[in-house]
Amino acid sequence: MNVAIKSIKEQRDFVVSSSSLKQVRSFSREVFEKVNIDQDLKDELVLAIAEAAQNIVKHAYQGEDTDDKMEIKISLEKGHLEIGFFDKGRPVEEKNVRHRKIDDIKPGGLGTFFIQQIMDAVVFKEGEKPWINHLVLTKNLNS
Amino acid sequence: MSYKVTEEGNISTVHLDGEIDMDVTEKAKEIIMPLIEAKKEVHLNLKEVQYMDSSGISVLIESHQKATELGTKVILKEISKSVLKVIMMAKLEQILNLD
Repeated sequence: MNVAIKSIKEQRDFVVSSSSLKQVRSFSREVFEKVNIDQDLKDELVLAIAEAAQNIVKHAYQGEDTDDKMEIKISLEKGHLEIGFFDKGRPVEEKNVRHRKIDDIKPGGLGTFFIQQIMDAVVFKEGEKPWINHLVLTKNLNS
Repeated sequence: MSYKVTEEGNISTVHLDGEIDMDVTEKAKEIIMPLIEAKKEVHLNLKEVQYMDSSGISVLIESHQKATELGTKVILKEISKSVLKVIMMAKLEQILNLD
């Protein structure tokens, strides 16, 4: 796939709140408008980013009101897409992240399931100061 | 998200419009659940829903499960392409009632 633009580096901060999710999607759509990939893939990437942001609101902050911001960085280099999420919420341990089983129709765990379906890799890291959590989603757009 | 509810006999049709994410799921449940609890057959018209995430899908699952428990049903009508894609990604097309 020809991703046309070879290099993108964009980042934006958002208040950690469910009301920010619309802005997260708008930011992601703006960025992917610059990339020559098909609309279905753009929609999937926007969904993956919105789900990861939602997980920060839901799990790292457990839905609590806060003035804290989360930062989202989208970078594309030679077809390799990397999306970073930084937050100052409770530390997320990968072993505690709930993965939905294929035959499980209970609500919950779906966001992580979607992210895993869409992206090539999902890596949880300890954030460097001032951040607590750093989640990295990657996908090769050349394949 | 905006909505409109129409009634015909024991069928309540909820026309949802806009984007359904975590920010509006409580509102969506407040609209849908009382209809199910009143044992109405609920038709959710999703023609004008341009975006739905896992929170929206959770509302569909909870509605379906509540309706089954109370002996009624929730039927998804005129599902937009983007919503159908997410339902299929969640592998729920065989579980939810799609029309």
